[in-house]
Amino acid sequence: MKSWNPESVQNVLGRTKYIDDLPEPAGLLHGQPVVSKSAHGKLLSLDASAALALHPSVRVLTARDIPGENELGTAVSDEPLLVADEWTYRGQSLALVLADTRSLARRAAALVKIEGEELPVVTDPREARAKGMIILAPRTMRMGDPEAAFRDCAVVVSGRVESGGQEHVYLETQGATAQVRDGGGIFVLSGTQSPTGVQEAVARNLGLPMNAVEVDAPRLGGAFGGKEDQAAGWSALAALGAFVTGRPVKIYLNRKDDLTFTGKRHPYSSDYKLGLDAEGRILAFEVDYYQNSGACTDLSPAILSRTLFHAAGAYRIPNLRATGYMCRTNLPPFTAFRGFGAPQGIFVMEAALHKAAEAMGVDPIELQRKNLLRTGDSFHYGMPVEEARTERSVERALERSAWDRKRTEIDEFNRTRRDRKRGMAALPLCFGVSFTKLMMNQGGALVHVYRDGSVGVHTGAVEMGQGVNRKIQKVVALTLGIPEARVRIERTRTATVANTSPTAASTGTDLNGMAALVACEEIGKRLSAFRSESGLGDAPWETLVSKAHEARVDLSAHGFYATPGLFYDGKAERGSPFAYHVYGCAVLTAEVDVIRGTYRIDSATLVHDAGNMIDEVVDRGQAEGALAQGLGWALLEDLRYDGTGKLLSDTLSTYKLPDAHFLDFPLDLEFLADAPNPKAVLKSKAIGEPPFMYGIAGYFAVLDALKAARGDRLRVPGFHDLPLTPEKALDYLSGVIP
Amino acid sequence: MSELNREAPSAGVGGASSVPAGTAGALTVNGVRREVRAEDADLTLLEYLREVLGLTGTKNGCAVGACGSCTVVVNGQGRRSCKTRVSEVLGKDVVTIEGLEKPDGSLHPIQQAFLDAGAIQCGFCTPGMVMSAYALLLRDPSPDRSSIRTALSGNLCRCTGYQQIVDAVELAASRMRGDGA
Ligand code: FES
Ligand code: FES
Repeated sequence: MKSWNPESVQNVLGRTKYIDDLPEPAGLLHGQPVVSKSAHGKLLSLDASAALALHPSVRVLTARDIPGENELGTAVSDEPLLVADEWTYRGQSLALVLADTRSLARRAAALVKIEGEELPVVTDPREARAKGMIILAPRTMRMGDPEAAFRDCAVVVSGRVESGGQEHVYLETQGATAQVRDGGGIFVLSGTQSPTGVQEAVARNLGLPMNAVEVDAPRLGGAFGGKEDQAAGWSALAALGAFVTGRPVKIYLNRKDDLTFTGKRHPYSSDYKLGLDAEGRILAFEVDYYQNSGACTDLSPAILSRTLFHAAGAYRIPNLRATGYMCRTNLPPFTAFRGFGAPQGIFVMEAALHKAAEAMGVDPIELQRKNLLRTGDSFHYGMPVEEARTERSVERALERSAWDRKRTEIDEFNRTRRDRKRGMAALPLCFGVSFTKLMMNQGGALVHVYRDGSVGVHTGAVEMGQGVNRKIQKVVALTLGIPEARVRIERTRTATVANTSPTAASTGTDLNGMAALVACEEIGKRLSAFRSESGLGDAPWETLVSKAHEARVDLSAHGFYATPGLFYDGKAERGSPFAYHVYGCAVLTAEVDVIRGTYRIDSATLVHDAGNMIDEVVDRGQAEGALAQGLGWALLEDLRYDGTGKLLSDTLSTYKLPDAHFLDFPLDLEFLADAPNPKAVLKSKAIGEPPFMYGIAGYFAVLDALKAARGDRLRVPGFHDLPLTPEKALDYLSGVIP
Repeated sequence: MSELNREAPSAGVGGASSVPAGTAGALTVNGVRREVRAEDADLTLLEYLREVLGLTGTKNGCAVGACGSCTVVVNGQGRRSCKTRVSEVLGKDVVTIEGLEKPDGSLHPIQQAFLDAGAIQCGFCTPGMVMSAYALLLRDPSPDRSSIRTALSGNLCRCTGYQQIVDAVELAASRMRGDGA
């Protein structure tokens, strides 16, 4: 009999309560933000009279109503909760309208008259940099002496690489409900990955101490990074409304508003230079990343640092310089999204390697294999490479996918067919696990054993579909030696487990599972001492627990975990920022319709390093889902803004994401066997983000087919532009893209 | 794919032979007859289910017919409740995710199969997926994988890669045919 996440039972019954499903408290007001209608402007006046005249319940709140600090930015103070004088992107909140019903609130919001003076708009990161619109100083990581090494290279290639943004499309949009608590303070139910972050934002905006603000996070309908920092604003607005009116307030964005108002994955524009010796060994790599950060800092610095850490992908590069620029533009602040800057960096590396393969007239796989990281190498940030599973994964994936045979078959197919062409590509993976911000690598848990033997577990982890609750349930059951069914994972609340890190960076189970394990071990120790003292022998768990309670043994424990061994010197850009790395390899094949530019993925083989898995069903789901999103980013999802900063892909019919047909191909997924990871809970490895990178193999597989169509399979275009939509494929086929 | 029936048939005919004053007619939801107040007839079926009846199992993922989260089954056909007016379904039989569970509290085979196949991550798409699958299996008890994909192609899932969802529907179909498993 299979087992599953107990919460999934509620899902299939339609009983799970997401924020908008919960019964509304009496007297609830609905909130609707009034937003800027252009990407940059000075706010001259805001006239609410028509809105107020619509209905007696209507209230309009502006920056002046904020009792505390009008600020959401944590790294840099550049993000007001409500704009007081200047808006810097389209869809930025200027006021909050409250009314008895959702539709009244929307109608009233449309009646608020905004007068402003238009200011110049910049949407391109390179233009922003040229104009000096940079957030924080550029950052550079360095190893060896690339300038000197380039002189010894037999082959040097360079080029430009673009990668587009990506909309999260968590199926449940952003939302929060806030109400005044008994005894003062505010209670917020927030669709967030970061309950403590929301608590802090609300406290700051309302001028309250953190202990006056309680934040609960129910189960989320997806998040993918989009509800890490960017959930805070909606929660803080709801809290503001509740604080000012004394009535409960709910904000729940409709899809179009969510698409328009919120940030997405950062688009990057990059320049690279790669040098190799005559045998194809990489000697030197230089890269400049122009990160389109959007209008506010948000998480851009942390995201850029992950790009820099992943500049070399899965390869050993003795001489490297990687520089990143956070370019401020007039687009909604770009934010966390699965992979967090790593996909952008890894894509540039792969593009460079493919270009080098062209220059040398070899298949890219040769260069990929020749340059894989090995145990004993050093990352460019000074961390030694321990237990590299790169080669192991790659060789296994090539074997499992029958690479050589497939290559021959595909070449043969391409020789005989003119209307359709096939291609294939591999993506070796190396992904560092830990928050790159040291402080965030901590987790907490509170475990209660009730006197009937059932167990309640509170942690800082937020369940958003990634299965963290399922994994923690198993960790607890295993550690206490009891059936899983006796363990219940409670929803995340700041009043129970405090000062939590966001559930992000794939670390949810690593940090919170370990904290729960620590708490269980503490309780276990007390119980086994009691067992021997009281001569209970092998009495069953329930008896042991009830006797222990009678004897006044404490059956609750708090557990805490701080990832050991992490350090980083930001000045020298040297240290050990990651607990460990995740390895793997994907091989994808694709077929292109040469006439139409359309394509399909034919097959995927993934060999992935998940350590000793806590739950294979969860890990399988994460790997497949991440690949799906990665393919969406690499091929399909075309996030478009016009030159004025207006989002063009602002509905789910204009923003196409992978559907059941697009993802119709055989997927062969193998987890590396005998691959324990001593650095994480129960020897597992984090799974959320790393397999996202496999989508990059989709880009190069389609490109391989396109190149065959142009009769130059080993030639790559001068620049790379992701996503490789069918439209771009046609341009490439017709020579519009050289 | 679920139907997008934009053309509203003239409202108010309903199935009831006489329409009480102040009501627009009646419909059946999960086997229960519901009189529709006149002012509710213009709501979308999605709003009616969620806000009037409190049946929040049916989800709103886009409200414009592009995601399938709101799929319900009307007279045996999958339908997007966000694009359907209550007035269009008067006199008809609506089944939502809450109506699949058997009276004895056990799960419908499709619900069970979604669990067994690991087809659920965040679960937000799940009710719509299950209802699309339900509509499919009503008209075709033995769909192949490609017709399952076609039937689900209007339902977006952002978490899974759809493989397990297709597996789940296949598994449910075989169990419902009594193929063992
Ligand atoms: S909510 Fe109806 S299709 Fe998206
Ligand atoms: S399970 Fe999250 S959208 Fe499908």
